[in-house]
Amino acid sequence: MRKLLPILFVLAGAAPVFAHHSFAMYDHTRTLTLKGEVSKFQWTNPHGYLEIDVKQKDGTVKHFSCEMTSINMMTRLGWRSNMIKGGDVVTVTVAPLLNGEPAGLLLDVTLPDGRKLEPGVPAATTFARTPPPKE
Amino acid sequence: MRMGTSGRLIIVAMGAVLAAAATLRAQAPATHPDFSGSYERYGNIFGQPTAAQLADKTIPPRNPPAPLKPEPLKEYQARLAAIREADRKGTPLASNYTSCLGDGMPMMMNAMFPIEFLVTKNQVTVIEEAFTQVRRILIDRPMKKVEDVEPGFYGYSVGHWEGDTLVAETIGVKEDIRYQNVPHTKDLRIKERIHLVAPNILWNEITMEDPAVLEKPWTVTIAYKKMPDYTLLEYICEDNREYRDSNGVQQIHVNK
Repeated sequence: MRKLLPILFVLAGAAPVFAHHSFAMYDHTRTLTLKGEVSKFQWTNPHGYLEIDVKQKDGTVKHFSCEMTSINMMTRLGWRSNMIKGGDVVTVTVAPLLNGEPAGLLLDVTLPDGRKLEPGVPAATTFARTPPPKE
Repeated sequence: MRMGTSGRLIIVAMGAVLAAAATLRAQAPATHPDFSGSYERYGNIFGQPTAAQLADKTIPPRNPPAPLKPEPLKEYQARLAAIREADRKGTPLASNYTSCLGDGMPMMMNAMFPIEFLVTKNQVTVIEEAFTQVRRILIDRPMKKVEDVEPGFYGYSVGHWEGDTLVAETIGVKEDIRYQNVPHTKDLRIKERIHLVAPNILWNEITMEDPAVLEKPWTVTIAYKKMPDYTLLEYICEDNREYRDSNGVQQIHVNK
């Protein structure tokens, strides 16, 4: 069973959230659920990035880049740079780039221990969620 | 008329008393409050305010729209429509944020991220965490002429204390550094009245004066709540993957 990290959700609801950058380049009508191995958790501004390698049905591996929010905002929500490490296998929910490139806006990530974290995307509820495929 | 020795002594003594009083005044602690510290935006209500919010007198009233003159109003509305349309198409227009440029004045005072005030005798320094923006309000210094200030993001600010209120005035803000997309000219004057309305709530009443584009001065009020245990974090644009393309559209480099 997935465990949640309550403090992140409590803070996410209370903290004022403002956007620097427009996220209009991401698809607001659907999400992708991807399971992959972390190649890098990049703790930088203006935004953090989670780089993952996703194994395809044909056995090849496709790299996928997940944009997060400002690490300052993530820090205030309870995130730390050591929460995700290279080699971790994670499951992410992303709003994909509209232009079809292998990247998306990370809405949540489930860590190997089952904790589910959100990076505090402004107006995150405006992204319609697609149910994850049944395993 | 001749003055006796005792008369001269009295005058010398009076002079000494007056000089001592002047020294004491110069050394007297400031009567204005030291509101130094970290703050976060407070009372910024996006939807309908609740009854509790309406009753809370430390939350400022909703800010009015800019009272723009007809021509700049047309330009402003066209810009907003273009932004909305570009967002709708999924091709957002690039802004200064796309290039990791800070807000400038007065937008930095909107405190997108926590903001710090440092009140010292000769200067009030304001630091905005997002983009590590810094401005300096020089206390009791003369204002310059607009033509003597090189236009910049933050302009030139002087200030003085009126009782508990820090009164600041800023000129010299670049014309393309806009507050919420509202156009202005090189003659924009920003007047601020910064004061505590509660022990932990600071208000900044920001009035923009620019007769060429505004029908009348435009005042917006921003409230900040103290963050007693918070130290501003660093903010460096270390890896900005977003960029402005030749059509002015925001794009992103994707690691493949």
